[in-house]
Amino acid sequence: MQRFIGQLTRGLALAGFVAALTVMLGFSQAQAEPVAPDEMVRKLAAEMTAAVRADPELQTPGSLKISDFVQKNIVPRFDFERVTQIAMGRNWAKANPSEQKQIIAEFGRLLTRTYSNAIASLKDLEVEVKSTRITTANVDVTVKTQMIGRPQPVAIDYGLINGPGGWKVYDVTVEGISLVAAYRDEFGGLVSSSGVPGLIEALKKKNGG
Amino acid sequence: MKRLALSVLLLAALGSGLAIAAPTKKVKAIAPPPPISEEQEPAPPNDVLEPLNRATFALNDGIDIAIVNPLVAVWNGIMPSFVRAGVGNFFNNLDDVYVGINHMLQGNPSAAGADFQRVAVNTTVGIGGLFDVGAKMGLHKVDGDFGQTLGAWGLPTGPYLILPLIGPSTFRETTGRFARIATDPRTYLDPVPSYSLMALEYLQTRADGKVNEGLIAASSLDRYVFVRNLYLQKRALMVKAAREKTSSAASLN
Repeated sequence: MQRFIGQLTRGLALAGFVAALTVMLGFSQAQAEPVAPDEMVRKLAAEMTAAVRADPELQTPGSLKISDFVQKNIVPRFDFERVTQIAMGRNWAKANPSEQKQIIAEFGRLLTRTYSNAIASLKDLEVEVKSTRITTANVDVTVKTQMIGRPQPVAIDYGLINGPGGWKVYDVTVEGISLVAAYRDEFGGLVSSSGVPGLIEALKKKNGG
Repeated sequence: MKRLALSVLLLAALGSGLAIAAPTKKVKAIAPPPPISEEQEPAPPNDVLEPLNRATFALNDGIDIAIVNPLVAVWNGIMPSFVRAGVGNFFNNLDDVYVGINHMLQGNPSAAGADFQRVAVNTTVGIGGLFDVGAKMGLHKVDGDFGQTLGAWGLPTGPYLILPLIGPSTFRETTGRFARIATDPRTYLDPVPSYSLMALEYLQTRADGKVNEGLIAASSLDRYVFVRNLYLQKRALMVKAAREKTSSAASLN
């Protein structure tokens, strides 16, 4: 936690998740009609920053409105199932279907809980879409963006997957650093030391339940 | 202090609020997602010293709680934010000299030129580095250090290492850190100004990181592993970027 954190960020990680939230907020406003994901990111990021700027309650960290907003608008735009699968890596197959469901739910809660407060900072930020990398056309893309409004611009890439529910985020990297990868190391360690039930236990404990 | 307290409160408030509304699980059949690729399954980190590292990590946490956090709280409490920003900018400006030197050593003169331009602008117009005028001109601060240069030259990372007070490092980055200390003019000042400057920089850097430390603490299950992963990702990216620049510069010649 020492100096590295300060160096890593100078407002980087937090800012990254702020931007991630902005964009996801945007997605929720999108209709089901097919839109190029980068165009969607561009248009809706602008709309969403405007929404937060216009609503002081959404700028008040910890307000009930924020948690409501996040549950309604952000959570549905995240493919927690895929996020969890990637974080589990080869350990995914070790969990039975009911364990898998529990892990998805608890991990989703953990991420939501931790990063909801970031939305309040949106009022000072802008998101610029730089480019899109297509992994599989119309299925799996990475939209590269840059967040400005901090002392330094922050590069944020969103991994998006197209499914029946439209485009959903399954990975976010901030300056090339993937949070899901950090969870994969953690999950791997917990599964090898105390098995899948141990991981579920740890997630539940972290979520306070 | 305020920021930290606020974020802790926030996390607590959000936690209780959201815990009730667990995500509703959609059981609808979904087209099978593309398989998760193999590149997403990297080799485990080199952490042969894990028991020692975990002990040092715990020691650092203890020092944080006993000494650093209270100092950061006092610092944030008594210093207006523009002063703290000025202190941060001042040390960043000194650091930019080293960033430029390292970009030179990495065979990346154009990046070095931008670094030195930042130093020139910030030292003059920015009044000795107190203001980051360079960033306003589009010359943003870039990372760069001796550890990265050694990596660009082909030295392997070596085992992960937690240093007392400093935190995450590796054998290579620690070597780079010694090079920095040996070449830092502050090292050769009298002890009182030397240590004062270093302590001030340390304090400001730690103060800058507190919000994110809170986020990491709140979101990780095993903070040691989480921090190790983030650190090693960051270092690997820095070295990769430097290597690409070095090889593209070499191929031009």
